[in-house]
Amino acid sequence: MKKIILSSSLFSLVLGIMLLPGQCVWAGQGAAGHGAGSVLEMIKDAQHSLDPMRVESAHQLSMKTVDAQMPGPDGTFKVLARKDQITRYRCSVCHNDKPVQVQNGALYTHSDIVINHGKGENKLACVDCHDNKDRDSLVDKQGRKIDYDHSYQLCGQCHFRQKRDWVGGAHGKREAYWAGERVVNNCTSCHNPHSPAFKTKMPETYSLPLDE
Amino acid sequence: MGSGNKKKEQMKKDNMLAGKTTRRDFMKNISIAAAAGSAGLVTGGCAGSATSEEAALKWEEYFKKNYRLMTPEEKDETVARLVRLAKLQDNRDIQMSDQEPHENVLFGYAFNISRCKGYMDCVEACVQENNLDRNSKTQYIRIFEMDPGKLDPTTGDGKFHHEVPVEGKFYMGVQCFHCENAPCIKACPTKATWMEPDGIVVVDYDWCIGCRYCLAACPYWGRRFNWGDPHVPHDEVNVDQHYLGNRMRMKGVMEKCTFCVQRTRKGKLPACANACPTGSRVFGNLLDPNSEIRFVLANKKVFRFKEELGTDPKFWYFMD
Repeated sequence: MKKIILSSSLFSLVLGIMLLPGQCVWAGQGAAGHGAGSVLEMIKDAQHSLDPMRVESAHQLSMKTVDAQMPGPDGTFKVLARKDQITRYRCSVCHNDKPVQVQNGALYTHSDIVINHGKGENKLACVDCHDNKDRDSLVDKQGRKIDYDHSYQLCGQCHFRQKRDWVGGAHGKREAYWAGERVVNNCTSCHNPHSPAFKTKMPETYSLPLDE
Repeated sequence: MGSGNKKKEQMKKDNMLAGKTTRRDFMKNISIAAAAGSAGLVTGGCAGSATSEEAALKWEEYFKKNYRLMTPEEKDETVARLVRLAKLQDNRDIQMSDQEPHENVLFGYAFNISRCKGYMDCVEACVQENNLDRNSKTQYIRIFEMDPGKLDPTTGDGKFHHEVPVEGKFYMGVQCFHCENAPCIKACPTKATWMEPDGIVVVDYDWCIGCRYCLAACPYWGRRFNWGDPHVPHDEVNVDQHYLGNRMRMKGVMEKCTFCVQRTRKGKLPACANACPTGSRVFGNLLDPNSEIRFVLANKKVFRFKEELGTDPKFWYFMD
């Protein structure tokens, strides 16, 4: 059963006619935006900002995250976990002392991985990032073990400018929400660590010519 | 005297309460009669009960107020009518919201011209999210392929379709910049477009008369006009809608990027920023000193397109 309220519409018709000449009420806020000066002035003068944690609808991430092992602009932040995404993790399942069957050799030797990381002839080798002794872990140039979930610490050794921008938010991207807890993509969420540059490809769509 | 007034008021109240049902019934009868009449005119007679409900809803919709003059109840009523109309007309179950802006939020956007690769995932995501007309291939975003050193998109190629990125080119996206001092708002003769308190410039599609003054006033080509009835394939319609955002538009009205108001007021990223595979798009609250967008403004080289016009856009370009 639908409820039809016509009285309100007739009333609004009358009201609408009455209000037509009286639209100057809006002129101030409509034409000059917020009426509080330019955007930069508003940013400078801002006394309060919404606590992003108060946006209740922004807390529904289904992906696994880990706490970043370094401070962001606003205390801690979260990073998308990596280990879940590696199909053959844990590495020590194969990388141990047990013999492996030779018919799976192509798969077991990672023949699908192409390394295109590093300038010119100086391409990186596996052990530049992977720990030769503990295959379940990465290793940085000072010999410290680095967890796969925190690979940004490894990448940041060389790409320190990108890391600084990533921590602040000018490089990389947040996951799904601008509000709520800050969850950012890991380096390896977007870049293939073995071949990190973006590939050339056809665009997703195209635009029609401008009608000028 | 005071008690006399009180008595009068009480009597008025009683009369209203007593007369409420009969008057409402009377009005309802008129509405059904009128609706049946207009439906008869449209369909050429023999209007069924479903079409008369549809016509009655359309009748009410026709006489509603400008969105900014509505009370919260009236906003909810028109949303309920539009949801019901979508069911009656297109057999579509939609969820429409009239969610108000959050306090102490001012949305801003930054675009990294040294990261964008021209993949156009953003354009496609925007089309899907905002129910843009597929017939005219309407798009809110345009990506320009630019020569180095040029920062004016009019010098770029806005209709490229080849493998990207091309060596030696860079890519620059243009959309509505949600100017603080927006020329389009000033140009509108019916006050059908305005800026919300969270900084989003929106259009009341039911109050727009289609004069296109705003389109002419915008120096950034940020606005789109529906020359025909917008068409979206039935199974591609995004049913998660907002009154001021991606609800279905009609022939003869303006539309534009709304920073995905249906998403961003729920805390989500706009569809374009969410879809970007290169992280070139940064979105957030300009009033929050810890937000990503504030980091970009404070630490990167930024510029705004046609800064000299004084439109004060909330959309910055930056480079690494």
